[in-house]
Amino acid sequence: MQMSEKNRDGKRSARERLAAERQAQEDRARRKRKLVVLGSVVAVVAVAVGVGVAVQSRRSQPETPVAAPSGAVGDRKLVIPDGAANAPATLTVYEDPRCPACQLFEKAFRPTVDRLKDEGKIVANYHIVSFIDRHDSGTGSKNGANALACAQDAGRFRAYHNVLYANQPPETEDPWSNRGALISLAGKVPGLDTPAFRACVNGNTYGGWVSAVQQDFDKSGFTSTPTVLLNGESVFPRKGGQDITPANLTAWVDAANKGKRLGTPASPAASPAAGPSASPAAKAHGRTARRHHRPAASPAAVSPAPAAAPLAPGAAASTAPASTR
Amino acid sequence: MTAPQDAMLARGPAATRPAPAGGRLRRALDGPGAAWASTAARLALAAVWTWAGLAKVADPAEAAQAVRAYRLLPEALVKPVGYGLPFLELALALLLLAGLGVRAAAVLSAALLLVFIAGIGSVWARGLTIDCGCFGGGGQVAASQTRYLQEILRDTGLLLVAAWLVWRPRSRLSADAWLNS
Repeated sequence: MQMSEKNRDGKRSARERLAAERQAQEDRARRKRKLVVLGSVVAVVAVAVGVGVAVQSRRSQPETPVAAPSGAVGDRKLVIPDGAANAPATLTVYEDPRCPACQLFEKAFRPTVDRLKDEGKIVANYHIVSFIDRHDSGTGSKNGANALACAQDAGRFRAYHNVLYANQPPETEDPWSNRGALISLAGKVPGLDTPAFRACVNGNTYGGWVSAVQQDFDKSGFTSTPTVLLNGESVFPRKGGQDITPANLTAWVDAANKGKRLGTPASPAASPAAGPSASPAAKAHGRTARRHHRPAASPAAVSPAPAAAPLAPGAAASTAPASTR
Repeated sequence: MTAPQDAMLARGPAATRPAPAGGRLRRALDGPGAAWASTAARLALAAVWTWAGLAKVADPAEAAQAVRAYRLLPEALVKPVGYGLPFLELALALLLLAGLGVRAAAVLSAALLLVFIAGIGSVWARGLTIDCGCFGGGGQVAASQTRYLQEILRDTGLLLVAAWLVWRPRSRLSADAWLNS
C-alpha cells in the first residue's frame, strides 16, 4: 500500500496493485487451506480415538462374565475351589497354564496340596490367569484356562489341572493354541473327553470368564505366578524367613488350623457309583472336592480315593481311575 | 531418512554461519532431496505408528493393563487411554501416510513420543519393572527383562524423525503438496 502511494502514476503501480491483490487473495486461500487441513487432522484424530474407545469398550469382555463354570465361587464367580468347602484354611493359588514356575510349584507341592485338601485341612481357591499369552504371544494360556473351566463343569478340574501341568510345553512354544492338543490331553482323565467337553473347549465357552479372571488379576496387585497365599498371606517362595517346602507348608497349615475343626472332604464311599449327567446344571449345587472325583460319563466307573490317585507326570493315563474301568 | 538428518546435525551450525541464505547446505535442505527425505521420514514414522497401533488393537484388556502397569493414571483413565491410544497412533499413521497436515501430525507425534519417553523414564526412576507395551504386550516383567534404555533411545530416535518433519513438513507424494499445487 505504501509503495503504491509513493508511485501512484503509471501502469507500474496498477500492475503492482494487481499483484498485491492477487498476493492477498493467494494468502487468504492458503490460510483457508491451512485451516481445512488442520481441521481434517483434528477430525481424523478425534473420530479415530472416539470410535476406537467406543468399539474397544464394547469388544472388551465384561468384567463380570455371563457364564462361569459350575461351582465357581467369589463375588464374581472367578475362582475355582478344590477341597472341602468348610475346610478351616484357604490356599489361594494364582496360576497360568503356560507358566513354567507354576509347573515347578505343581511338581513340588501338588501331592502335599492334594493331601491337605483330602484331609479337610485346606480348600484351594484357583485363579486361572492367562497373561503369558501377552508376554510370549499366543493363545495357549487362554485356551488352557477355558479348558480347565470346562473340566470344572465336568467335575474333573483337579485331575485335568494336574494333567496339564504334568504335560506343560516349554513356555515359548504354544502348542495349546491348538485346542485339539488340550482335548487329547483330556483323554488322560477318565470320563473327561465327552462331546460336551469338546464343545466347551472348541467353542471357547468360558472365554469371557477367562478374560475376567485375568482382568481381576491385573488389578490385584500381584504381578507374577505362581502367587500362593495361605489365608491371605503369601507363602511362595517363602513365608516370613522360611522357604516353602512340603513339610513347611504342612506345618504352616497345621499351625493355622490349630484348634479348628477340619472340613469334610468327599470320602470315596460317599461318591455315587452311578455317574450323574455331564450337564453343568446337574452339578451347579455342589462345590466340594467330591465333585472333582465323581464320574460323569461312565456309570460303571467307581471313583477311587482321591489321595490314592495322584497323576504321575507323563503317565497320567495309567493311574488308578483308568484301572477301575 | 536418517542420513540427511545426521548430516544436518553434524554440519548444520558450522555450515550455516558463513552463508546462511546461499550456502550449499541451505539449498540442499530446501531442494528436492530434502523433500524426498521428508517423504521417507513420513513413511517411516507412519510404519512405526501402524505397527504400534495394530499391535495394541487386538486385545483391549491387555492394552489397558499395559497402561495400568505404569501406575501413573487413575483407574478411571486407564481404560480410555488403553483403548484410545492405539487409534490415535493409527490416525497419525494414516495422516503421515497420506501426507495430510504433515506438520500438525508431526507435532502430535513428537508430543506423544515425549509423553512415552517421560512415562518410561518415570517407571525407570520409580524402580518398577514393566514392559513398555509400546508394540503390544506390556505389564509386569522380571527385573532382568526391562529394556528401559533401549526403549527411550528408540523413542528418542523417532522423536528426531518427527522433529525433522515439524521443521521440514513439505514432502513429495503428499496430500499437502497436491492441495497446494
